[in-house]
Amino acid sequence: MNGDELEGRIVMPGELLSDKPERISYAFVDKGKTYSTVVGLFSNGKLVPLEGPYEPVPEDVVVGIITEVKFAGYSVEVNSPFPAFLSSREIREKFEMGDAILAKVLFVDEVRSIELADAKKLPPGRLVKVSSVKVPRIIGKKNSMIDMIKSATKCEIFVGRNGYIWIAGSGNANLAEKAIRLVEIQAHTSGLTDRIAAFLRGK
Amino acid sequence: MSSAGKPALLVDGKRLDGRGLEDLREIKIVARVLNDADGSAYIEWGKNKILAGVYGPSECIPRHDQSLYRAVVRCRYNMAPFSGMEEHGKSGPSRRSKELSKVIKEAFENVIVLENFPKTQIEIFVEVLQSDGGTRCAAVTAAAVALADAGIPMKDLINAVAVCKIDGQMAVDPAKEEDNYGESDMPIAFSPRTGEILLFQMDGMLSKDEIEKGFALARKASEKIRKLQVEAIKKVYEEPREERFLVISK
Repeated sequence: MNGDELEGRIVMPGELLSDKPERISYAFVDKGKTYSTVVGLFSNGKLVPLEGPYEPVPEDVVVGIITEVKFAGYSVEVNSPFPAFLSSREIREKFEMGDAILAKVLFVDEVRSIELADAKKLPPGRLVKVSSVKVPRIIGKKNSMIDMIKSATKCEIFVGRNGYIWIAGSGNANLAEKAIRLVEIQAHTSGLTDRIAAFLRGK
Repeated sequence: MSSAGKPALLVDGKRLDGRGLEDLREIKIVARVLNDADGSAYIEWGKNKILAGVYGPSECIPRHDQSLYRAVVRCRYNMAPFSGMEEHGKSGPSRRSKELSKVIKEAFENVIVLENFPKTQIEIFVEVLQSDGGTRCAAVTAAAVALADAGIPMKDLINAVAVCKIDGQMAVDPAKEEDNYGESDMPIAFSPRTGEILLFQMDGMLSKDEIEKGFALARKASEKIRKLQVEAIKKVYEEPREERFLVISK
């Protein structure tokens, strides 16, 4: 999903997308025809899922929670079906169980285990969990949405591509969380930036 | 079931509840009704009331059940203690609920794109709140909507429907009395896209012709059910709700 205004038709799993075999993400080819595997928005040969688990891709910036301190590194919870590991070699800081970190996905192996790198500890704050497919909308076109929420609430907000959002700072965190929730449930609609702006002004 | 007390199941071509042979009971589906499940759906199929919740994919525990090649599907079908159905409506694990959990699981193993999620599990929970015959079909139909709602990739949005033989005639979607006193009952789950059969069971006896006729009836009914499933999923996005809770209509 990108930050552009969304359009297209809602397709269902098993719905025909093309009479030709095509490479479309979240689609599959059967007997020379291409079908969707998810509930998504389809337009201009692109299929964007409306819901779904976070599937890690190298270079993604994610927010994670340290769940285990091991000899060689840390197990990190990153809202993914697959386990994530942060090697001690990749970092200078030391973390403790429960710490929130911002990290980059370094590598995803053939059974989808995740290697993290470039981790830094996040300042005290709260975690908001959203569906990872909504993250591009929360960031907005050229960061427009998240910048607007940040400046209206005076919060520091770290958005992980995995759908974990960390709200820190002394601003109005409740308002920021509400605004993010609003974006999440209306992510597939258009004219969202204006509606969120009105919501933030109204408070 | 003994034929003692058997009512006339067909009078002037009408069934006990006034339906014709090819009519389904009234079906209502609502998707996304639970806050904490990844996907969920609620279905009212005649007097059946069934809630389906889906979790996952998540790390598969215990680890010896993991596969390095695909996700493991788990299903629990359970009847609530107040769900009716007399002797086999008892809550908790029973031979019947184990069987239904297994057949529902196997139906979904063939449509979910399991290869995308190695070492994980996908859990399907089906709770029958009220039963009136045909709960496995309603359960499959609701679980498919719940899986789609969870965004789990599937090769099709499947559904199931039963056909039966009552007073010598093939009919679609038997209600409880028709199931109990009818000559035969045959639940079938289809993949509407390919026409493949994903669940197929039969009670009683049918001739080859009757089975073929039953299949034709079930296919037609399955198309109607798919439309309702699609409507339910689209409604989640057309009328976004802040709370996922099931909203009881006025």
